[in-house]
Amino acid sequence: MAVIAEPVAKPVSRFHFIFDRRGVFEAVLVAPAILYVLLLVGLPLLLAIYYSLSAYTIYNPTWKFVGLANFEQILQDPTFFDTLRNTFVFTFGSQLLGLVLGKFGAFLLLRPFRGRKIVRALIILPFAVPVALATIAWQWMFDSLYSVINWTLIASGILTREQAPNWLGNPHLAMLCIVIINAWRFFPFAIVIFLAGITAVPQDVIDAATVDGAGFWRRNYQIILPMILPIMAIGLIFGIVFTFTDLSIVFLLTMGGPGGATSVLGFAGFQTGIVSGDVAHGAAISLFMLPVLLVVVVFMLRFIRRREI
Amino acid sequence: MGMGRSLRVTRRRFLEQAGLSIAAASATSVTAPFISKALADTKSLSIVQWSHFVPEYDKWFDQFAKDWGTKNNISVSVDHIPVGNVAARAAAEASAQSGHDLFGWNGAGGAHLYRKFLVDVTSLVEATEKKYGKVSTIGRQIGYNQDDRTWSAFPDFYINFPAMYRKSMWDEIGMKPDTWDDVRSGGAKLKAKGHPVGISLGHSNDPNTTWRGLLWSFGGALQDAEGKSVVLNSKETVEAVKFVTALYKEAMTSEVLSWDDSSNNRYLVSGIGSMIVNPISAYRTFQKANKKGADDTFVMAPPKGPVRQIMGGASEFYGVWKFARNQEGAIEFLKYYADHWPEAFKASEGYNNPCFANLVPKPMPILSNDPTSSPADKLSVLQDSEQWSASPGYPGPSWPAVDEVYNDFVICDMMSKAATGQMSAEDSVKWAHQQSEAIFTKWHGKT
Repeated sequence: MAVIAEPVAKPVSRFHFIFDRRGVFEAVLVAPAILYVLLLVGLPLLLAIYYSLSAYTIYNPTWKFVGLANFEQILQDPTFFDTLRNTFVFTFGSQLLGLVLGKFGAFLLLRPFRGRKIVRALIILPFAVPVALATIAWQWMFDSLYSVINWTLIASGILTREQAPNWLGNPHLAMLCIVIINAWRFFPFAIVIFLAGITAVPQDVIDAATVDGAGFWRRNYQIILPMILPIMAIGLIFGIVFTFTDLSIVFLLTMGGPGGATSVLGFAGFQTGIVSGDVAHGAAISLFMLPVLLVVVVFMLRFIRRREI
Repeated sequence: MGMGRSLRVTRRRFLEQAGLSIAAASATSVTAPFISKALADTKSLSIVQWSHFVPEYDKWFDQFAKDWGTKNNISVSVDHIPVGNVAARAAAEASAQSGHDLFGWNGAGGAHLYRKFLVDVTSLVEATEKKYGKVSTIGRQIGYNQDDRTWSAFPDFYINFPAMYRKSMWDEIGMKPDTWDDVRSGGAKLKAKGHPVGISLGHSNDPNTTWRGLLWSFGGALQDAEGKSVVLNSKETVEAVKFVTALYKEAMTSEVLSWDDSSNNRYLVSGIGSMIVNPISAYRTFQKANKKGADDTFVMAPPKGPVRQIMGGASEFYGVWKFARNQEGAIEFLKYYADHWPEAFKASEGYNNPCFANLVPKPMPILSNDPTSSPADKLSVLQDSEQWSASPGYPGPSWPAVDEVYNDFVICDMMSKAATGQMSAEDSVKWAHQQSEAIFTKWHGKT
């Protein structure tokens, strides 16, 4: 008579209440990411908010609550509004230029040509080069005495030395310079975003449009562009957030000069909070970025959601 | 099957593996306290300071500190950071309550700002004064706290800002830039010959220092002698700003609006600039790049103004953190360093100027007789530079509000806004006064 073996009871893990409940298990898996964000983003943000409401300085590290006094002082300073305006010009100017360059770059890189893979790799370089190195290189290109751009213009007889642009000495040109540098850093990222978007557009849609008589511009601006807008918006959110909070290019190139023409919020917050030691005031300056970025991000995310629907 | 089993990732398996990984990772941190304890038993001293403009000085200092460490069985490490990073590094170390034992500050900020984080070095400064004479006025402005008569930092040296001019160019017009009026009228003539004057109107340390000097020489100042109120909006300041406007238009070019601290050095070396105001690092660089041009460059005390002859100076000072692991070692090192200060002076090629009266007895080596210069006594005027050098707070003390006005480039912008015609001299002074007053009011409530 055959003996049927008794099924061996599997030992029950002491964590079965986690493993066996989908909801709990999901929460456990997501927890590290949430913890990470809370500790490295949420906590510093709360700290910055508290600093901005206090009288904390390096000279006197007190947590004395002063309400909105720091914000009131900032709003009474006329140069703050110049700084705010500069931040907008710097951010949106460089993003716009970066997007235009990115779009053209993506179109060029979509076409097959010899060495395309090498060019694609090389074009990522501005994005990969450390900002300090890149800015120093640009600093020499805009130097008042040794600018290679001016040298070329003078050597080719287009301008005389007296007519040569004073890149970093003229308030408008100085702003243009930091916009150009930031756009130069951003455009490889824009190319990648555009390439990803364009290659995802179904070929039959483009073919159908071509058969219907749509030319290059119509295909691009009435078919491809609307289809890649959501992915473009995601790229733009990254670009805007990183540029709006950036201080490195200004710090390395102009120190906010000439005459405050390139001072941006990140730089002003750093100078006041860290260099001058008024941490509370510096935190308050930096926090002015928060509502702006919040509005931009919420608006763009809602836009993306609508497009997807 | 077995293979498939081993490759299959179940939730349970994932958690087991992840748990093991975390346990393995944390094992190293479990051992860390024992390693730290072992390291703490080794005597060490860590120093951080700016990367000196004379690179040979850093080489000398590193070896000097190492030799001291060898003699005292202490492992010494010296970190050099760019001058622009000093403030951020100090803030980071103070916030973290951890970092180097000895912190070397350069320029504005530091001793008074970080006062509550620094060990009182009054006894060290007093002992050094007994040995090497009184601390100079600029040295006192660096680390002395007037309210409780203590020292929160040890004054190391100050950097003077003499005028440097191309003798052949100025000889050609039969002039010497002795006064600010000479600089303006002679500069205008030389600009017409393609050799303008080069004083930065940008955002950096040099213009912050130079234009303060010009302001003081016209009788103006940012604050009163007690450091209580802003006194910028005065007839004297308006005159100074009007003068700078004329100087810019007649004797300089718009290039100066974009300059950083090294631009005027390059301007002089390029053979275009006829005069600059800068520490002698510009001259030393010129000597290395073009000996003939350097020989034609003469160094003099700053031009005289209508009221006085004075120029801004930058200071270097050492603070010992209260959280330093080796406070005693840091103090001992500073004592030893002061006793060997003339060596530091030589290593800096005369760039570091002493803060104690007899630290480098006159005639000073190098400055009184520099074998690399022609004539050899070209730099001798710098021996008395403490008579015409002052820190940014002059005639009052340096304190956080003065630093913030400095860091916000208010004085530079006051000059450049008027010079470029953005504002009239009167409006520009009013603007700068308002900016400074807002900063002073803020700090009066916080100090």
